[in-house]
Amino acid sequence: MAKLRISVDHDICVGNRMCETFASKVFVINENGQSEVADPEGDTEENILEAAENCPVSAITVVDEETGETLFP
Amino acid sequence: MVTSITDDMFTGEAIADPYSYYGKIRDEDPVYWNELYELWVITKHDDLVWMTRNHELFSSEFWARDKRPPYPAIDESDMGLYAYMREFFMDWFIQHDRPVHTDQRKVVHKWFNPKSMEMWRPMVQQVIRDMLDEADQNGKMDVMKDFATPLPLFIIAQMMGMPYQDRQFIRSMAEKLLFIGRGEADRMQPLVDGIKELQDYLAPMVDMHMDLPTDEDNLLSVLTSGGKNGVLTRDEVIADAILLLLAGHETTINLICNGTLAFMQHPEQWQLLKEDTLDSPNAVVRATEECLRYDPPVKSIQRIASEDVELGGKLLKEGDRIRWFISSANRDPDKHPEPDTFDITRWPNTHVAFGSGIHHCLGATLARLEAQEAFKSLAERYDKITLETDEFEYQPSVTFRSLKNLPVSLENAAP
Repeated sequence: MAKLRISVDHDICVGNRMCETFASKVFVINENGQSEVADPEGDTEENILEAAENCPVSAITVVDEETGETLFP
Repeated sequence: MVTSITDDMFTGEAIADPYSYYGKIRDEDPVYWNELYELWVITKHDDLVWMTRNHELFSSEFWARDKRPPYPAIDESDMGLYAYMREFFMDWFIQHDRPVHTDQRKVVHKWFNPKSMEMWRPMVQQVIRDMLDEADQNGKMDVMKDFATPLPLFIIAQMMGMPYQDRQFIRSMAEKLLFIGRGEADRMQPLVDGIKELQDYLAPMVDMHMDLPTDEDNLLSVLTSGGKNGVLTRDEVIADAILLLLAGHETTINLICNGTLAFMQHPEQWQLLKEDTLDSPNAVVRATEECLRYDPPVKSIQRIASEDVELGGKLLKEGDRIRWFISSANRDPDKHPEPDTFDITRWPNTHVAFGSGIHHCLGATLARLEAQEAFKSLAERYDKITLETDEFEYQPSVTFRSLKNLPVSLENAAP
């Protein structure tokens, strides 16, 4: 599995927590009720991309660390 | 304590100008106990966001948990209708807390994610073209009746596979359901009539989808899949179908209508939109966010305290009713500089028109998409849109900010 660089834009994140339901080891909720990346290797690439896709405000970016390719959005 | 303000939220003044009414409460007593309705009124942006992010303290099971008498009061003889209405609303997925809410929302969450919604953009553009072509024939339109209403209604009905000719019926029933936000003592009868007629209308469609394989291109079929796998009961599927139909268009109607009015009342912003839309796709995105902030479609949302909570020096007791006001939070000067100025370049725009947290509006992306395309088309097509009235009448609702009509005349841009 490719090494992924995952980030959550806290200017956008509304704390919908859907990412957490798709990849609960990768995304955790901080004290502001917003999502944070805890472990970028905590789930399969498929689940991580599904979490990103299902963010209602597109706050999650997923980049392939090795190739630099943006996998989402 | 708020000086010289009535607790009646349905006065002509509060309906016509919620920004002054709730703004005064926000400035003087931001966590305000409305004695008349036995209700906490929350008006600050930060308080609203904090509450949405602490959903375990503020339950969404309003209709299941509220033990106080209805507010405003209803006719004594309508308590049976009130009970029926409560039972119905309890079945909405948004009337649940975690974990049930998450399981139920997930049945349709993917349908509404930004990537899925983007596929509907060409159809939205086509419907807008057709509607404005028709308006051009007359050189005028009622933005509410001829544009803002039929557009989102067409799209949600299309998504759910409703027959084309049923749209008028759906709209009429939706108008009855909107009595939920009204204050008249006899509001229960039209409300319950609307619920029952929509239940009768949708039940056979839901039953049909229950017996068929799930069609991923049909929202009603996708929703019904939740009935097949036991996440939703049949009654819940029907209730959520009504919710999707109603919320799928009512809010966007108000966004398009209120936004168009804001542009008409701020000609320099309209001019700016016309110039910038040609240069940058971001311009209309930002303009739509400012419309959402400045005159949001939904004014307020209800919750009920799950336990005793302190907020702003007040004790909200378990079981207390709460209503937070988006209209006031979006004009909070502590969050938005010059909050009463309509500025379509405002960015970032941290409005709460769609709420926040786990209950953040499911249809937010669809509403944004429809409004962006509507404002873009108006800006590209018309040199001038002129208001044909200087009186703006709003539905007497505490929930929705909804104009009754918005007549304009249209002057086309040179081809």
